[in-house]
Amino acid sequence: MKIEIKDLRFTYPTGLDALRGISLSIEAGEQVAIVGQNGAGKTTLVRHFNGLLQPTLGSVMIGDWDTKKYSVAKLASRVGYVFQNPDEQLFSKDVGAEVKFGPRNLGYSKEKIDGLVTRALALTELSDKTETNPYDLSPTWRKMVALASVIAMDTPIVIFDEPTTGQDAANVARIAHVIAELRREGKTVITITHDIDFCAENFERVIALANGQVLLDGAAADVLGQEEILAQTYVDPPQLTRLGKRLGLKETVRNQEEFLNALS
Amino acid sequence: MHERLSFYVQRSSAIHDLNPLTKVILTLALILIAFTSPWYWTPHLLVLIAIIPLSFLGRVAPEFFKTAIRLILPAAGFLFLMQAFFQPVGESVIFKFYFLDVTQESLMFAFRSSMRVFVMVSAFTFMLLTTHPSELMSDLTRRGLPGQFAYVIISTLQILPQMQAKAQTIISAQRSRGLDTESSFLKRAGSVVPLVGPLVFGSLAEVEERAIAIEARGFTSKKIKTSLHEIADSNSDKIIRWVLTILVIISIALKIWLS
Repeated sequence: MKIEIKDLRFTYPTGLDALRGISLSIEAGEQVAIVGQNGAGKTTLVRHFNGLLQPTLGSVMIGDWDTKKYSVAKLASRVGYVFQNPDEQLFSKDVGAEVKFGPRNLGYSKEKIDGLVTRALALTELSDKTETNPYDLSPTWRKMVALASVIAMDTPIVIFDEPTTGQDAANVARIAHVIAELRREGKTVITITHDIDFCAENFERVIALANGQVLLDGAAADVLGQEEILAQTYVDPPQLTRLGKRLGLKETVRNQEEFLNALS
Repeated sequence: MHERLSFYVQRSSAIHDLNPLTKVILTLALILIAFTSPWYWTPHLLVLIAIIPLSFLGRVAPEFFKTAIRLILPAAGFLFLMQAFFQPVGESVIFKFYFLDVTQESLMFAFRSSMRVFVMVSAFTFMLLTTHPSELMSDLTRRGLPGQFAYVIISTLQILPQMQAKAQTIISAQRSRGLDTESSFLKRAGSVVPLVGPLVFGSLAEVEERAIAIEARGFTSKKIKTSLHEIADSNSDKIIRWVLTILVIISIALKIWLS
């Protein structure tokens, strides 16, 4: 499902101009990372995708739906949004019920819900924890419950707000696996992240925001190579990319594989 | 992002520069004099010659009048009506409303009690407008107020806006999962659990974290603590406090003397 943003401007009630004219289109099945310093407008931007915020000027189209005309609950059938802090959404007495909550709100049939829940739990490696109370799990596993509860909604677009913050290496790998699986299923994945290595390894397209405007937008290799421009929004390219630059490699490398290939 | 729940207006004025304790004493003195002075017109005069000029001196007059009109006047007005109708004093009836008599005496009485309440609330408002809550608390703690007491006041002022912001995020997160919070009442009643659960759990966890964080800085230590933030307490502050105390004593003495 395509996302089409036309000259989006947003001003908070406090008078803060958070977005100052953003035009973007994101095709179905794209994997997009959004980077930029705190306050650049990343969260404000993605909160327009499911109608939590309404444009002050301009428009956001999700497929053929204008977000101004649909409620957040309706848009939830097209856009899943995983919030940064799982503790701000978990309330059920066990993991199974928690994951069921979203698809049930969307009014799917019982068989479909069961299928979606089983798949989401398997994908997040929670299958053996369905009976556990989410608050008895460690914070990293609670994060996976939050992921599962949104993936089970089977939306064509999934948004992650800083999924890897505060996560250990094992869980970052699990999250990367989930994203790869969503890509295989043809879903659009949009991720806000400060973890530039995670961004380089898992996303094809990178959008850098600064002061409510798009600073850079393009293939990950092109964007991450622009060290000087990225510095404007306090983003450092991945270490290997910078090392590759210093070594005078011709192309921009993003991960170990590309780095080794470029060396040999 | 988290602002405090407080009336405080940051300005620079002679009143803002006063020691917080002086402002507390000023407030208490205004209230005590309004309530004890034997002279009928004292509360009315205090508003005209003390509280209103002070709000100009403190450069908070616009905010003060806004609060007075929105909050204090309706409350004092309501009290005035109740007292005027239900105070069974006096002979000279001005008018009758069914079985209720409004007499000249009950009007006078009602006018004074509502003005006393007006003085009380507006004096407090004036103090809150010109005194930062943490500055007041750290000054009082330095003078021997138990730290626990100050903590309860300050943390309450901080926690409410934080909980509000948190509740907003939780509502957003659940709406993103398809929770309908905008339609029929029945549906909305069913959506309370997903909203209250995380709010309560989260707030309890936060309280514990906060307690650990301040204890890590020696909150319950019995040693005398130094303060990073010095609060001025000048000689004029001391003089003002003494003058106010004497005025209160005179007012109470006159009351006893004349009754």
